[in-house]
Amino acid sequence: MTAINPKKPVPYSVSGSLRKKLWNSKTLILMCVPAIIYFIAFSYAPLPGIYVAFVNYNYRKGIFGSPFVGLKNFDFVAKSGKLWMLTKNTILFNLVFLLLDNALAVIVAILMKEIQSKSFRKVSQTMMFLPYFISQVLVGLLVFSLLNSDTGFLNVILKGLGAEPLRLYKTGEPWPFIITLVHLWQKTGYNSVVYFAAIMGIDAAVIEASMIDGANGWQKIRYIILPSLRPTIVILLLFALGGIVKGDFGLFWNLVGRNPTLYQKVDIIEMFVYRATVSDFNFSTASAVGLYQSLIGFILVLSVNTIVKKIEPDYSLF
Amino acid sequence: MKKLLSIVLAIAMVLGLCGIASAESPVAKAADTWAEKWADVDTSEHVVINYMTTGDAPSAANAGAQDEMLAELNKILTEKVNAEINIVWISWTDYLANYNLRIAAMDGAIDLIGSSTDWLDAWPNAKRGGFLELSTEMLEKYAPVTYASVPKDHWDVCTYEGNIYFIPEDNYSQWTNHGFAYRLDWAKEAGLANGCQTWDDLTTYVKYVKATYGDKLIALWDTDGTAYPASGYITSFAKWRSIDGLASGALWGGYLDDPYTINCLYLVETDKLVEYAKLMKEWDEIGVWPTDVLSNTGADNRDEFRKGKVALEQHHTNTWTSLVSPKADSNNTMYVDNPNADVGFYYWGKEAGYVTRDLVTHGVAAVSAASKNPERTLMVYDLLRNDKACYNLFNYGIEGRSYAIDENGMRYTPDTYSADKDGISTNWWWGRNDDLEIPSAAMNWDAINALYEEYDKIAVMYPYEAFVFDNTNVQSYINQCNEIYNTYMKYLCFGQYSETPEEKVAEFQEALKAAGVDEVTAELQAQIDATYKK
Repeated sequence: MTAINPKKPVPYSVSGSLRKKLWNSKTLILMCVPAIIYFIAFSYAPLPGIYVAFVNYNYRKGIFGSPFVGLKNFDFVAKSGKLWMLTKNTILFNLVFLLLDNALAVIVAILMKEIQSKSFRKVSQTMMFLPYFISQVLVGLLVFSLLNSDTGFLNVILKGLGAEPLRLYKTGEPWPFIITLVHLWQKTGYNSVVYFAAIMGIDAAVIEASMIDGANGWQKIRYIILPSLRPTIVILLLFALGGIVKGDFGLFWNLVGRNPTLYQKVDIIEMFVYRATVSDFNFSTASAVGLYQSLIGFILVLSVNTIVKKIEPDYSLF
Repeated sequence: MKKLLSIVLAIAMVLGLCGIASAESPVAKAADTWAEKWADVDTSEHVVINYMTTGDAPSAANAGAQDEMLAELNKILTEKVNAEINIVWISWTDYLANYNLRIAAMDGAIDLIGSSTDWLDAWPNAKRGGFLELSTEMLEKYAPVTYASVPKDHWDVCTYEGNIYFIPEDNYSQWTNHGFAYRLDWAKEAGLANGCQTWDDLTTYVKYVKATYGDKLIALWDTDGTAYPASGYITSFAKWRSIDGLASGALWGGYLDDPYTINCLYLVETDKLVEYAKLMKEWDEIGVWPTDVLSNTGADNRDEFRKGKVALEQHHTNTWTSLVSPKADSNNTMYVDNPNADVGFYYWGKEAGYVTRDLVTHGVAAVSAASKNPERTLMVYDLLRNDKACYNLFNYGIEGRSYAIDENGMRYTPDTYSADKDGISTNWWWGRNDDLEIPSAAMNWDAINALYEEYDKIAVMYPYEAFVFDNTNVQSYINQCNEIYNTYMKYLCFGQYSETPEEKVAEFQEALKAAGVDEVTAELQAQIDATYKK
């Protein structure tokens, strides 16, 4: 094994003046350049554009020439009286997705690792991975063909068996579950790849040693694999938290669409904003909502990171 | 009837050729006007005018005919104004958002823009700075024929804060009032000798069709639940007109005998709305639409209607004219399968006896504020709208390939014509001109003219043409109300709720009030007062 010993002194000094530090890290910096350029171009440079959320945007006057209107663009979400309900729904859906996604992905990754037949593993991995590449529009149609009342697969079978058909498109209650199921079906295969890679990265010697010490399969998972995955799990959770106020519009829109019986039960911020502003093409209100979501996401990441830092400083992002 | 029409057309053509009747019309002396006005215009640089329209580009199979037409047209345009035209398509999927986005880009890649104040965002784009202000001097110089043929009061309705923003397509006869197209032959079988004259007749019709043909049809009306005939029902009894262009839901307007007192239709006509909701509960039980109507997004009801697979289509008169004419569309196969097939039209307002004429701004042409060649854009527009050769090419294609003219002076498709390879499309819905239109022999003029005559007797003007709304203070309320409207219309128009109609309507009205419907009404009233009660 050629694992890097973290105690071994680094080949260059990171102390001294800033210039010296930069010079010493020149290779690392060079390797970072593409990422740095990417973030400057697509994340930092457009930041001043947030100002568009506070103006009445005019195409010819541009963002900074348009008249300033203060918080007026935030009015329409605030006045709807639905802001709290929408934010709550969005966060709860994402929390459920987040927890189930990761739990299931870890389980699947471990199961994959335990499969002995290589060809069977490849086939099942590919099959689980495939739904990730299906466009949400097709997923929406697929679900409709499965569940609709007149010609849906499920109801044709039920009718064939002499049972009452399930009128799923006329009742809102089951939809939080249907949406979650479809989401998991689509994303689990993809998510498990990261964990699978992490498991493959675990020092084989450690696992071997545990086997020699007489650990059974379950103990191996409980005491070796899961603890080794902990940093990955925490970091992925922290990253995901930043987007917790941003709903998966494609999934919701294609499954639920314009059917009010359904969307009244599973409304998220994006869906409401789309319905309310699709006929009023307005950059400013859209940006206002985006800013609101980013701010909440930012606050969430900061607070959760602080908590993680208190409990396990090594796992925090910064 | 057909004979009469052809005689009238023949006389009109003869007179037109001799230059007697229309000697004074701006189109008749267009060539002279251009020679005079454009003599000193510098057209030394060859430019491409990009014309943006909504619609799907012609299929690859039709590209040949389309390219041939454009090549021919561009030859003429180059010769006359040293310019050529290129069509930029905004396809129907999410057309409104993409249309607005394209205008907002302001990159100079678009010159001429087709627009509308009722179905495309002409005013919002004008107010946000997307359209160039057109001075009368500019129009008079670069689009002289159009300028002379559009009367002053029509220019006035295209004016906001002293600037003209677009050119109206005001010399083209069409009716875009909505209603139900239905199978007249089946209605007659159902005992309705004169077709559907009332909503009760429509109910009789759907009951009969369901019982008789229900098994053979996909649905009676294979709708996706986004067409809401509620206002159609109410205004079939109450003479009320909406102010167009505020939001997709036509919520605000006024009674025709007092149009400048503004109200919200769904608050002042509670009884009729409840009556309608009850009727639609009944239609839902009859099974007029698919069970999952509100999620039924994959259907194309109009196409199915053409093929005789459904019994109702909700759209406007102009769509009906193509449904009632067997040869107007190659998909009209119901006439092949059933020689007795016939299509009737029940329009909103029939029972109260009125229809509103189309807005002059239902189709308008604007120049992009980012256009590098606004002058040449106007010149090309003037030619496309008023020059016979350009007009025919741009609207009908190459003569002999895409169309031919019969002995009555009417347009027909030659025997060699195949819709798959000889068709052209330019979606020129912003510059058609009755002076140059060649009527199509494929249309069922007997039926169409009969309905048009009926309309002419009862037509009233749209009362809010001169009104441009400044939405700054209430747009957020309008968005809220529109969202509420779109939610509740789906319940009410398709009977998709478990409460009683009275309860659901009351809930709808409460939600509208909570969303600020009264604030919008008050703001509209104040601005209407300022416009009309000076």
